Amino acid sequence: MSWLDTVRAAAEAVRAHRLRSVLTMLGIVIGISSVILTVGLGQGAQDEVEDQISALGSNLLSVSPGSSTDASGMRGGFGSASTLTLADAAAIADTDVVPDAAAVAPTSTTSTSVVAGETNWTTSLIGTTASWLDVRARTLDSGRFFTAAEVADGADVVVLGPDTAGELVARGSPVGETVRIDGNALTVIGVLAPSGASASGTSEDDVALTPIGTAMRVTGQTPSSVSTIYVEATSGTTLTAAYQEVEALLLNLHGLASADADFTNATQDSLVATANATNETLTILLAGIAAISLLVGGIGVMNIMLVSVTERVREIGLRKALGATPTAIRRQFLVEASLLGLVGGLVGVVIALVGAAALPALIGQPVSVSALATAAALGTALALGIGFGVYPASRAARLTPIDALRSE
Amino acid sequence: MSAIIELESIRKTYRSAAVEFEALRGVDCTIQAGEYVAVVGPSGSGKSTLMHLLGCLDNPSEGRYHLAGEDVSTMSEAGLAEVRNRRIGFVFQQFHLLASLPAWRNVELPLVYAGVPRSERRERALAALDRVGLADRVDNRPGELSGGQQQRVAIARALVTEPSLLLADEPTGNLDSRSTADVLGLLDELHAAGRTIVLITHEHDVAARAGRRLVIHDGEIVADHLAGAIA
Ligand SMILES: Nc1ncnc2c1ncn2[C@@H]1O[C@H](COP(=O)(O)OP(=O)(O)O)[C@@H](O)[C@H]1O
Ligand SMILES: [Mg+2]
Repeated sequence: MSWLDTVRAAAEAVRAHRLRSVLTMLGIVIGISSVILTVGLGQGAQDEVEDQISALGSNLLSVSPGSSTDASGMRGGFGSASTLTLADAAAIADTDVVPDAAAVAPTSTTSTSVVAGETNWTTSLIGTTASWLDVRARTLDSGRFFTAAEVADGADVVVLGPDTAGELVARGSPVGETVRIDGNALTVIGVLAPSGASASGTSEDDVALTPIGTAMRVTGQTPSSVSTIYVEATSGTTLTAAYQEVEALLLNLHGLASADADFTNATQDSLVATANATNETLTILLAGIAAISLLVGGIGVMNIMLVSVTERVREIGLRKALGATPTAIRRQFLVEASLLGLVGGLVGVVIALVGAAALPALIGQPVSVSALATAAALGTALALGIGFGVYPASRAARLTPIDALRSE
Repeated sequence: MSAIIELESIRKTYRSAAVEFEALRGVDCTIQAGEYVAVVGPSGSGKSTLMHLLGCLDNPSEGRYHLAGEDVSTMSEAGLAEVRNRRIGFVFQQFHLLASLPAWRNVELPLVYAGVPRSERRERALAALDRVGLADRVDNRPGELSGGQQQRVAIARALVTEPSLLLADEPTGNLDSRSTADVLGLLDELHAAGRTIVLITHEHDVAARAGRRLVIHDGEIVADHLAGAIA
């Protein structure tokens, strides 16, 4: 029996029991589409984090308080518990001690309400120094950033992120207007340009920046403790050297051995790795659950193929009487099972692609489906069909024509 | 004349969990090419068992079977499948047609397993259906045909590979008298055209058409009559 005839016979058998075939494929369809979608969601989240972190700039080191290396320590901001101080930042800025640092910007971040006229908006208040703009590779849309002199004086000035400005002032430029934070009047001197970091609505564009002394005064924080110190290396090639210099300096200042470090010094790469490790764990967990549903789908194929063999004992016997070899029978049932797997897989891929197109709008999460993952899913569906078809097919092949013909 | 079937002390024992049953107890018999043989005997005497062995659908428990000079009692499953495909045509009491396929697709099945190309298969299937008088029913499914027509489709299927041996197990057992006459007429024609036919039946008027009658009883051949010897 030729392969073409075998495939045709299998397709006819699948079509002859349309409803049953569709229900059998459903398991594969659900399994394949959920595997593709969960992996796509994980990949999408990972891409987004990478985008955000790379928007920080490639020469950037960030030093945060606490020794934690997990994701929660990444953003720092332990407030009064901070182990980093303005003195640390000043020491890093000393080019004799850290020659590979081009600029240093300590930041102190708190959540606070900003009031403009009748409007009240909660945002991140970042107290920092004049070098923040360069270190974070940001630009201004209008107005100017605060100067070193204003930082030294703790001047009552504020620079708004573009989203914050939009929320507080409906029309026109807010530059020159006065806003209030905890009753303190601050003059808006500039508005940042959008950060360009991937998805809109990230905190990068919803901020209010003031000189660090001003921020500590209006929010009543422990003087001199900071949440993150950003250090810009002189170039991408000196990043590692700068990292080691900062590490050695801070350990020395704090009088600690490196195992007891009370701060976390991270490059952009290590931030990406940390964020990805978390994402990956979640993705693997979800994909694992999806894979189990795929396995259940495969068992469904086997179940139906076994039922089919039992039901078609008479047909199998007749085919054998007419000259079908055991090999021809085994092949026919294997091809039938693979067909169920393959068609189920194809439908699953289509559903996953439709889902990947529709989901971001529904749940606000990016989904990135790769061709490789799709091909792998299809291959898996086919392999499942074949794998779970082997046993039913060999049962069919072993039937003797007599038992088969007598069965009625 | 050459012998197409040679059976030597064939025994067949059915074994199931607790019971053993000897359905054939030493059958010796030779059938020449071109003979028309009827096997008669009461129900349960072993006629179908004998036909299954003759048709290479089952192996004897003991004894030797030569089909057209070839020892088939020791052949592999795949080898037997090829022998069945090439040398033997079957007609069963229950027709055994595939309900989902139209008549011509049922008839072409043996050619599919013989590896005949598709276009030639259809041509030969249509010719065989024409031969049994069903040229106008080639696209009907078995459910749309009468019992007699279904059995004629089955005969067309048995003929399509041009086998030298035709085995029919009670082919008229489920048919009315008109259809019986049709089917028996067809078998007569095929015999006249030179085919060897072994016909199993328990009806004496059916057996009377054959040139030779083997009477089987409790798994043994108890009489072997040539036509005219009894009448
Ligand atoms: N697969 C089997 N297992 C056990 N006994 C069987 C089997 N097939 C047939 N028999 C027994 O063998 C005997 C002969 O059966 P069979 O050849 O079908 O008789 P006939 O066709 O002459 O009516 C019967 O008694 C039957 O019950
Ligand atoms: Mg019988």
